[in-house]
Amino acid sequence: MASTPAKRIIQQVRPILSVDRDEAKRRVLSLYKAWFRTIPFILHKFDIPKNEEQCRAKLREEFLKNKDVTDVRVIDMLVIKGQMELKEVTMQWKQKGHVMNYWKETVEPKPQDFLSKFLSGN
Amino acid sequence: MASLLRTISCGLRNGLAQNSGILSATRRLKHTEPAVTEETRPTVRKFNAVQRAHFVDFGKYVAECLPKYVQKVQLTSGDELEILIAPEGVLPVLQFLKDHHQAQFVNLVDIAGMDVPSREYRFEIIYNILSLRYNSRIRVKTYTDELSPIDSCNEIFKAANWYEREIWDMYGVFFANHPDLRRILTDYGFEGHPQRRDFPLTGFVELRYDDEKKRVVCEPLELAQEFRKFELEAPWKQFPNFRKANPATEEVDTKKTESK
Amino acid sequence: MLRVPLTRAVLAQSQRAGVLATSKRMQSKAPEKVEVFIDDQPVMVLPGTTVLQAAAQVGIEIPRFCYHERLAVAGNCRMCLVEVEKSPKPVAACAMPVMKGWRIKTNSEMTRRAREGVMEFLLANHPLDCPICDQGGECDLQDQAMSFGSDRSRFTDIDHAGKRAVEDKDIGPLIKTTMTRCIHCTRCIRFASEVAGVDDLGTTGRGNDMQVGTYVEKLFLSEISGNVIDLCPVGALTNKPYSFVARPWEIRRIDSIDVLDALGSNITVNTRTGEVLRILPRENEDINEEWLSDKSRFACDGLKRQRLITPMLRKPDGELEAVEWETALIGVAQAVKNAGSKVAAVAGSFVDAEQLVAVKDLLNRLGSELLCTEQKFPTSDGLSGIDFRSNYLLNSSIAACEDADLVLLVGTNPRYEAPLLNTRLRKGYVHKELDVAVIGPQIDLSYRHEHLGSNASIIQDIVSGKHPFAKRLKSAKRPLIIVGANALSRNDGKAFLSSLHSFANQLKPENSDWKVWNVLQTNASQVAALDIGYKPGVDEVIAAGPKVLFLLGADNEAINKDNIPKDCFVVYLGHHGDNGAPLSHAILPGAAYTEKQATYVNTEGRAQQTLIAITPPGMAREDWKIIRALSEVIGTSLPYDNLDEIRDRLEDIAPHLVRYGRLEENNFFAQAEQLAKSQSVAFQGEIDVKQKSLADFYMTDSITRASPTMAKCVQAIKKGQGRAYTY
Repeated sequence: MASTPAKRIIQQVRPILSVDRDEAKRRVLSLYKAWFRTIPFILHKFDIPKNEEQCRAKLREEFLKNKDVTDVRVIDMLVIKGQMELKEVTMQWKQKGHVMNYWKETVEPKPQDFLSKFLSGN
Repeated sequence: MASLLRTISCGLRNGLAQNSGILSATRRLKHTEPAVTEETRPTVRKFNAVQRAHFVDFGKYVAECLPKYVQKVQLTSGDELEILIAPEGVLPVLQFLKDHHQAQFVNLVDIAGMDVPSREYRFEIIYNILSLRYNSRIRVKTYTDELSPIDSCNEIFKAANWYEREIWDMYGVFFANHPDLRRILTDYGFEGHPQRRDFPLTGFVELRYDDEKKRVVCEPLELAQEFRKFELEAPWKQFPNFRKANPATEEVDTKKTESK
Repeated sequence: MLRVPLTRAVLAQSQRAGVLATSKRMQSKAPEKVEVFIDDQPVMVLPGTTVLQAAAQVGIEIPRFCYHERLAVAGNCRMCLVEVEKSPKPVAACAMPVMKGWRIKTNSEMTRRAREGVMEFLLANHPLDCPICDQGGECDLQDQAMSFGSDRSRFTDIDHAGKRAVEDKDIGPLIKTTMTRCIHCTRCIRFASEVAGVDDLGTTGRGNDMQVGTYVEKLFLSEISGNVIDLCPVGALTNKPYSFVARPWEIRRIDSIDVLDALGSNITVNTRTGEVLRILPRENEDINEEWLSDKSRFACDGLKRQRLITPMLRKPDGELEAVEWETALIGVAQAVKNAGSKVAAVAGSFVDAEQLVAVKDLLNRLGSELLCTEQKFPTSDGLSGIDFRSNYLLNSSIAACEDADLVLLVGTNPRYEAPLLNTRLRKGYVHKELDVAVIGPQIDLSYRHEHLGSNASIIQDIVSGKHPFAKRLKSAKRPLIIVGANALSRNDGKAFLSSLHSFANQLKPENSDWKVWNVLQTNASQVAALDIGYKPGVDEVIAAGPKVLFLLGADNEAINKDNIPKDCFVVYLGHHGDNGAPLSHAILPGAAYTEKQATYVNTEGRAQQTLIAITPPGMAREDWKIIRALSEVIGTSLPYDNLDEIRDRLEDIAPHLVRYGRLEENNFFAQAEQLAKSQSVAFQGEIDVKQKSLADFYMTDSITRASPTMAKCVQAIKKGQGRAYTY
């Protein structure tokens, strides 16, 4: 390696968006709010068989999926992806099917105990 | 007759220009002799020894000009120059290569990604750039991981816009200050980054049209057929003489010139 | 009959020191090593080492076609020519012993040109049919032509007049011949006469007219004939059932264990898209070297036929009806609950250790101890013959058999019961001082042996010392007594066990570690079952009159309609609809050995595991999982949910069951004899073996009975029996 100074610089982690956890938290909350406010418009624009309550519950569930994430940079990455997805929804790039995929209605849950695993052939 | 002469002189001029460009940039460095012996083996790729010598000089020159960012200069396949830089040097190095009078790599041909999960910084980002003025192509390589952003070079090369989106989509490398970073190849709602080595060739989900729901649904993958895998190893590997090709990469020693 | 004289044998041994690790004991004194230089690398080798072996020691592979480590040196392909400094001509590396100070150049101009020349001669008469040749992709000629051949052709025969053409031979239903492709390496001929012991193959004619064939029109039928397919460096001899099926690069290879005999030969299962295409041997010096018996190699098509693919229950009108797993399990569980503790199980020949343990645990939880194997082994109340492992194992190990100097075979025909043990004995006979005597019917063992007679009373004579052979056994340095498991399953098997075992203990071999007493099992599952605590023989089960009887792949008709109670609910758990399935009231389809990760213990007591090559067909499941699921439906769940947990349970019962690949030493011979001695000695009648000729070899169990290839073999032999040249 030719230049050690260049190496030393990278050792300090470069932030994606947020410098500390508070900032990351603010970003998450603002994203949550943005989604929350968009729900009526989603229901208006997309013909989906869900009401506002169900959508909110789903929104909450999706956020709570990552409740254990503590790394600021990972949170930032998730926020970025969440924003991109929000844009895809509000711009109506997504179609009805894409939105409905949040519910995964057709997916059958995988069997957990031995007997049902055996009967389903896994 | 006159037109013929014109084309000849034109060709001569071009030829001269080609040679003098990168060469003259490095005139004040000690010139490396094209000492490599001519390749005669029919099965091994032959390379241009003159061009190789020019590239060695140019690589040393770049390393000398940008010691903070250039970590290594190497030659691939005998005569392809690669400049390995630190991730924070993407903008200065590319700017230098684009604007330096003797380089003029004004054309971004492609940005490629590469994933090697075993490395500390698993992703490699590779910029292929072209100098139309001197008819020369080089590669600039840098590295990153899943969470370290790389500066977008959209301001230097407008062409970078879609390439960087593609890398974001395929590898999940985040480009800071990109004007419009979003997916470009995958479907809306697609999860994961398909070019990562830990992403299976078959994917995780499958899409089908559900007649009851009257829409496309997305379900976990269930392969109805065995996934076919081929064995592609050469059977004559056991004879070591068979494999005596050129080394894949050769490092250009940049230290010596620095000490002078 | 071929037998290397003693002087040559000793010489050959010093040459093969690397190959035959077991022969170390035989060498008198290590001669001084000489130094040679391979491509300027110095290497010290024993005098008599060939150039090719010396090069292999420094990791330089010299190309060859005719040379094979396990066969005699022929030196006729000339591919291994190398330059030796100061020698005017290149020398054949496979046949030339090194001299002191030789400088061998394996990559010099002369060597390269010699190889190119040889390759050109070989290719001049070799057809260009690689695209339709089954060997394509795994062909030595192809590979070496790529590596060492010239990159230019001088082939100018545009009239298609010059290439040699040879008529194909019909040498049986297993091997397809395309003799035009033959390059006359004579590996197949040497294999047939040295290893297989049938001098059927040979060459006729000379020069360009030389042909490899059988002289007269006859089949090449040996129990290990399939190995010539692996030996053939080109596509002259190919696998007939596998012809035009697949290319080697589209195949998946999974290492596994063969279960069709009790040796547990190491195999590689070749599969594609969920189908077993062929089975190849895998090298294991301790068991099968690199050979494989024809039954193990070609019976894999039996895994696709006659399979049980769905659970079935017998309807009141007597018809078996396909049902869902849930229904079947509930049906069986109901019957088991009604039966209380009157539940029994009989294990057949392909049952793995996991299943044996699961069934035993289930039945013990139900309060039953009626667990048996189909094959009998002498036991008696209280003092059983199976308390010590040494009583029922091939104690001396398979590899050591070739070192013996006197072998007594009692009631067994190793040639068909364990073909690869027989090749070991033959190897000892050909290359070393091994003599064989047989008590039993007249059989052809492929080597000369002494036939002592077939009456059981001969054993009495030997044990009491009256018979002249007893003296020879006593004076032998490394004697072996190998008793067939079928002989021990006779009614007077107890007498066999007690008298022969105590006689074996009286013998004083040269080395006190040498084990004389050996049992050759015939079932892959028997040793594991006895280790786990199954009782051999079904008499006890029949006597107890169980209400529910589990048949674990028991197809050898020890249990039949007449000897079980009328109201007994029979559950068949296995993979083939063979003799056991029609008896049953419920069928639970299991997995064959290529479809599960399972433990098998071979006749020398070595635990080995098979790996999953394909998924079980239809609704079939891994066997131990069926038992585990059934236990949950009955209401006494077994405490293991995955393979690791059941392997832990296996380790609790018998730790050696999970020490894969290792051979445990067996001792306690004296104690075992003490136990056995208290039995009364009473012999009666003639000793017989089930498999006397090759026709009896092919179809012996549920997998081979379902295999069309095996049926064709039997047919071919039957058809040939009337002809002038018999086999």
